[in-house]
Amino acid sequence: MTIYLDNAATTRPDPAVVAVIVAAMRASHGNASSVHGSGVRAAMALERARATISARLGCRSDELVFTSGGTESNNLALKGVAARQAARGGGRIVTTRIEHPSVARPVEWLGEQGFEPEFLQVDDRGFVDPDDLRKALRRKTAIVSIAQGNGEVGTIQAIAELGAICRAAGALFHVDASQSYTKVPVDVDAGSVDLLTISAHKIHGPLGVGALYFRRGVALDPLLHGGGHEGGLRSGSSNVPGIAGFGKAVEIAGDAGVAEMARLRDRFIGEVRERISGVLLNGPTGEHRLCNNINLCIDGVEGRTLQADLSRRGIAISTGSACSSTVRTPSEVLTAMGLDEQKAHTAVRITLSKWTTEAELDQALAAIEETVERERGR
Amino acid sequence: MSELKADEEIDLTGVPCPQNAARALLRLETMETGELLRIVIDDGEPIEQVPNSVTEEGHALRRRDQLGDGRWVLFIEVA
Repeated sequence: MTIYLDNAATTRPDPAVVAVIVAAMRASHGNASSVHGSGVRAAMALERARATISARLGCRSDELVFTSGGTESNNLALKGVAARQAARGGGRIVTTRIEHPSVARPVEWLGEQGFEPEFLQVDDRGFVDPDDLRKALRRKTAIVSIAQGNGEVGTIQAIAELGAICRAAGALFHVDASQSYTKVPVDVDAGSVDLLTISAHKIHGPLGVGALYFRRGVALDPLLHGGGHEGGLRSGSSNVPGIAGFGKAVEIAGDAGVAEMARLRDRFIGEVRERISGVLLNGPTGEHRLCNNINLCIDGVEGRTLQADLSRRGIAISTGSACSSTVRTPSEVLTAMGLDEQKAHTAVRITLSKWTTEAELDQALAAIEETVERERGR
Repeated sequence: MSELKADEEIDLTGVPCPQNAARALLRLETMETGELLRIVIDDGEPIEQVPNSVTEEGHALRRRDQLGDGRWVLFIEVA
């Protein structure tokens, strides 16, 4: 049985979610755009999920567009807003140096299209300095995009404060909440958030489903043109079973097990530092860190060696974000936080879920200890 | 014509088919048998489709009135 400690990459679907998906595939197999009974039942599954998710976000149901996941939501937010701004002569797009590639690459691409990107520096724990944002917004800016919780090192940004700065400067504020949704409260009004990305598979829902919240009045162009689904913002027949599963995942999320995950996280960090020398914790501690995130550099052991060794023992961890873990370049996030390339190559990420147990973490720690001893003894 | 007093209301102006019917049916699911839901929908396809969709599920259409701006008001009794 695998000990799965890569929950920032994806989580195991909850059985209750799987049941809803299967039921939707059997009973709601109509196209949610058809007006006959089957279509209406499919549309009901869609609208039930929309109502559940919008209620948790505290937004109107027509302020939510379903997408294929976090990457599409981030692309839609950035390119959708930029397309409207292009007619007004482009403008600046501000983000940070530690964003997920689905934010960083679109911002770079928009730079090639005539926009002016700015990547804010972060400190050694991954925090954006609000004053840096304030300074960046002295010049007219179309949109600012900052993740609420960083997927690699778990840094939780002060979204309400950053949002207020954007609001005062007249810039739209997009928040990628893919990693933090249900784990960190988000109030789209209090945070002055104009657009917000969420993803189903990070919260025990299915892969391939996400959503973008967009405040009423925010003008967006679609990425996909076609039949005009989702209010014209996302053409393509809706993934009804997946979206129904997303709704169920949100419905049962509750407090997401945050307190227990944070306890296990801190216990593990304490133990690993006590038992292994030369361990550096990347990212902040306590309430400013995602409850399920542990990111460590261990002297003398390459992250990929440790990851491969644990994998052979049935323990799944990662060396960075899932999307970049096959690339041999060091983590952009860690180098932005000041780590040199050699140090960054020693990083491993261990991420918990609501099902992670003390016993599993103890087994992982014992395996890490063995690998470290062997590697250092060479 | 006697006045009907709705227990709940839902404004589906601007909501396309079949989302409007779906939202109406989801609201009806939360109501008690015999209660009345007042629904506002657009003219055109919505007034052609929504009454059919809700009555197909067993609910009763008690009344339909067209507003001055072309929209329609439906009174649906929960089955």
